Amino acid sequence: MTERETDGDQTLHGSLHSLRREYEEIRAIRRTRRIEMPEAQVKMNVRKASEKVSIIDVEGELTAFAEDVLMDAYNQASDGHVRAIILNFEGLEYMNSSGIGLLVTLLIRINREKQRLLTYGLSDHYRSIFQITRLDDAIAIHDSEEEAVRAANAM
Amino acid sequence: MTEASPQPSEKGEKEPRDAAFWAQRIERLEVSDVPEGAANVNVQGRREVGALQGFGKLWQKTYRVSLAGIETTPEEVVRVWKVHFPEFQPPNSRFYPSMAGVAPGEVLFISASVGGMPVYTGVRVIYADNKSYTVMTPEGHPEFGWNTFSAYQDDDGVTVVQIQSLSRANDPIYELGFRIVGSTEQERIWTHVLKSLAAHFGVNEPVILEKVCIDPKVQ
Repeated sequence: MTERETDGDQTLHGSLHSLRREYEEIRAIRRTRRIEMPEAQVKMNVRKASEKVSIIDVEGELTAFAEDVLMDAYNQASDGHVRAIILNFEGLEYMNSSGIGLLVTLLIRINREKQRLLTYGLSDHYRSIFQITRLDDAIAIHDSEEEAVRAANAM
Repeated sequence: MTEASPQPSEKGEKEPRDAAFWAQRIERLEVSDVPEGAANVNVQGRREVGALQGFGKLWQKTYRVSLAGIETTPEEVVRVWKVHFPEFQPPNSRFYPSMAGVAPGEVLFISASVGGMPVYTGVRVIYADNKSYTVMTPEGHPEFGWNTFSAYQDDDGVTVVQIQSLSRANDPIYELGFRIVGSTEQERIWTHVLKSLAAHFGVNEPVILEKVCIDPKVQ
């Protein structure tokens, strides 16, 4: 068994800089081992709702292949003094369990940065998946962008 | 990407393509038939718990093996894996699928031994398509989280088989147990599974393990 361990106590100490460095390291490992995954079938658009709130519009498929795109979008959305990230799932077309795993990883990173994660635009189907996986315990789900932004600004 | 035919819902809306792959939401696990040899302990009536619940550090462990030198597809590998799932397990980690096998909503019973201690529990299949399937733990399981078993083709067209766990220890005692012996035992189990699966296809390649501590805090 070949093993590589990244111990969070040492390398994940909370700064955005270190997270970006870790992310680049993982990408480099994948390239070296030639086990790069196929291209993601997803697009993410980042926009500012206010000085402290960013929105990421998710369009397409949320699977393991979306990791780079999602983390790039998060890094872009976190610039400045952003205290809350809102994921807009109105354009979500497909999600598997690896996509749920990505959201967990994103949530942990956001919590570490003392930011909050909110969502809106989830269909009944995807709300149900959030309930199955218990993500709804930790991620606020709102019915509309207006409601999510209001909640984010009130934090 | 996995394809499925969209089906109209009761409201007349088009169902998402992934709808057939996800298990139904349930409040608690209900078991009607227990497979022969399995113990229905820590399963019936338990609530499912994910990687955001639990106590210990949150670890993402990714095990991979390349099926280099043979011609197969991710779909074929996962099909075989679903059918023969228990056979690829080591003797100290027995899985007992229901008659329906590995399918969304089905429960797999587990009888294992970790550090000499017997562990009776189970997992529910919350997602299954033709390239992957995921199991989720219930209350009472030593860990809270998911395991995803999948296959994909890399840029060279080689089929890569992967197990990815995203989980944390259930409580302080299990956290201590995992740090002392459980984590290493667990890694042996999943390495054994990938080696066995690769051997089924006539491949003897090393298993690569990447461990990332996603959340170093206990909670």
